Amino acid sequence: MKMGMVIDLEKCIGCRSCMVACKQHNAQPPGTWWNRVFTPGSHRHLTPPAKGVEYFLPVHCQHCENAPCEKVCPVGATFHAGDGAVLIDFDRCIGCRYCMAACPYGVRQFNWQEPERTHERSEYQEKYHYGYPREHHHDGRLVYTPLRPKGVVEKCTFCAQYRDKGELPACVRACPGKARFVGDLDDPDSEVSTMIKARDAFTLLPEKGTKPTVFYLPPKAREV
Amino acid sequence: MSGKMKCSLWGSGALFLVALAAWLYQLRQGLILTNMVNSFSWGLYISGLAFFVGNAAGGLVLTSSIYLFGVKQLKPLAKLGALTAFANVTAAMLIVLPDIGKPFRLYNLLLHPNLMSPLVWDVIVLNLYALASAIYLYILMLPELTGRLGWLAVKVENAHDFSEKWAKRIAPVALLFAIGIHVVTAWIFSTQGGRDWWFSPAMAPDFVSVAIAVGATVVLLAGALAYGTGKKYEEAYRTLGLIIFIATCVHLFLMMNDLVIHAWYGNGETHRIMEIAWGDFAGFHVFEVAAPLLGAGLLMLPVVRRSMPLLALSSGLLIAGVFVHRFLIMPAAYNNIPMTITPFGLPNTHWSLPIASGRFFPGLDTFLDQYNYSPSLVEVVILLGIMAYAVFLILLAVAKLPILAKEKA
Ligand code: SF4
Ligand code: SF4
Repeated sequence: MKMGMVIDLEKCIGCRSCMVACKQHNAQPPGTWWNRVFTPGSHRHLTPPAKGVEYFLPVHCQHCENAPCEKVCPVGATFHAGDGAVLIDFDRCIGCRYCMAACPYGVRQFNWQEPERTHERSEYQEKYHYGYPREHHHDGRLVYTPLRPKGVVEKCTFCAQYRDKGELPACVRACPGKARFVGDLDDPDSEVSTMIKARDAFTLLPEKGTKPTVFYLPPKAREV
Repeated sequence: MSGKMKCSLWGSGALFLVALAAWLYQLRQGLILTNMVNSFSWGLYISGLAFFVGNAAGGLVLTSSIYLFGVKQLKPLAKLGALTAFANVTAAMLIVLPDIGKPFRLYNLLLHPNLMSPLVWDVIVLNLYALASAIYLYILMLPELTGRLGWLAVKVENAHDFSEKWAKRIAPVALLFAIGIHVVTAWIFSTQGGRDWWFSPAMAPDFVSVAIAVGATVVLLAGALAYGTGKKYEEAYRTLGLIIFIATCVHLFLMMNDLVIHAWYGNGETHRIMEIAWGDFAGFHVFEVAAPLLGAGLLMLPVVRRSMPLLALSSGLLIAGVFVHRFLIMPAAYNNIPMTITPFGLPNTHWSLPIASGRFFPGLDTFLDQYNYSPSLVEVVILLGIMAYAVFLILLAVAKLPILAKEKA
């Protein structure tokens, strides 16, 4: 089994629901965003670029098969789970941020201080907490905790806490355009494999040789 | 101990303690006290690592070249070389600590080392180099470890011959480590295909050349301060001046060669790199080229080498230039966002995906594709404190151990 995701850019309406769902479900501290949706070519989201086509691009960890972040991690805190997802062990990460230098997609986020302090600083209402409330271990390693330790790196886990229970990642469930799909890339007949073949799927920055397991289906051209 | 020496010891020691306090404060508050953000995640501390590693090299390169290639003129500076090497390589390891988010977990490096990581290689070579320079220094001092310091000496038949013999034997190994720390430190950056500014085979040889230049300058400066600029060591200083000048030229050549190749083809990424390196940081760039060249050029002149103020000024220029060079490792790497694409329907356009800053700035966007990093007060204090540590260690050793050649009447 090799898990993969397909994002259909034709269906993405740029609403950022997945960004918000991801942020809330995974209890990301203020200022931290694992998932970003922007309008390529434009400086302002949901505003068409001066020329060209308007479409929206969601980007989070690409769960690369040849992941530079995993290779550089001096203590093996970043690791590949059995199904191909790239996870971070919050109990082992030393916070050297080498992985942030290595990842070409800019998806890794650091905990610059205790999350409670960040909440205060951002003037969140007292005791306002959100997100999956329990710690989650995968293969005995701490891959999710609602209050992140200060000084570790975090990023998209494909919602390990949900997938380990057979549920879909929050972004997939939250997408009103139904633009996101997950499935088994090893199975040639799976929904994702079929879509990748039939619709000219592409990956981001293929020239970096990272072999992402997140695939994008191109939008149909719409001149603005 | 002279009054001046005491003063310098107290001053540098105090500065180191201040830095220690700043680090403790940062440990409590988190790296929020630095000015780094998610999109610009390495700053002054890691630049400092490259800087100290560079300073450390020259020492042992010189020391071993005396015993390996028989450059006899440098012999009076041998121990000073090994000492500055030790002080700087330990400073290099120290300056990494405040950059680590969870320093109390560093034991994980022993429990779960990932042998693919250049950072692990660097930890290994830096430690070996520190050990090598300490042993080297010890062996060189051995014949003079008598009297009050006699308890430190191992018992050997003829300390003098023993020292000579082993210094010669260790020299090739030490030289290998000396080169190794630069190559491996450069690899931390130059292996990263995601960052075009770093991803260059020229980086490792360039690190070696910078190190020989600046490391030799550190020894020259320390030597002149210790022995004065008189006739006696003229030969040694002249040789050092020559080494410094050649190494500086090689460094500038390697750097320019790299920039020209980056710039010539002129695709999108390199465009952005050049905008940052030669545009936003034009002043710094001019300085990183002009200061070492001027400093090294001046050190070629006998009048400069004979005057303490001029020698100190020229060495200072070179060291400052190299420091700026180290600082410039970061901006063109981090402000050129790797996640840059050509959007559909917009050929010839490059568009970078902004990164969440991870911090809360009332006046700044949550998402950044460009960030003007300049170090915070805490970062500066800690860096200065580590510099003070190196100075303190060298002064203390000079005061307490037989580092300096005895004046023969
Ligand atoms: S996208 Fe970045 S963080 Fe995710 S696996 Fe690839 S290199 Fe690692
Ligand atoms: S910050 Fe943590 S996950 Fe990233 S390389 Fe360092 S130890 Fe590994």
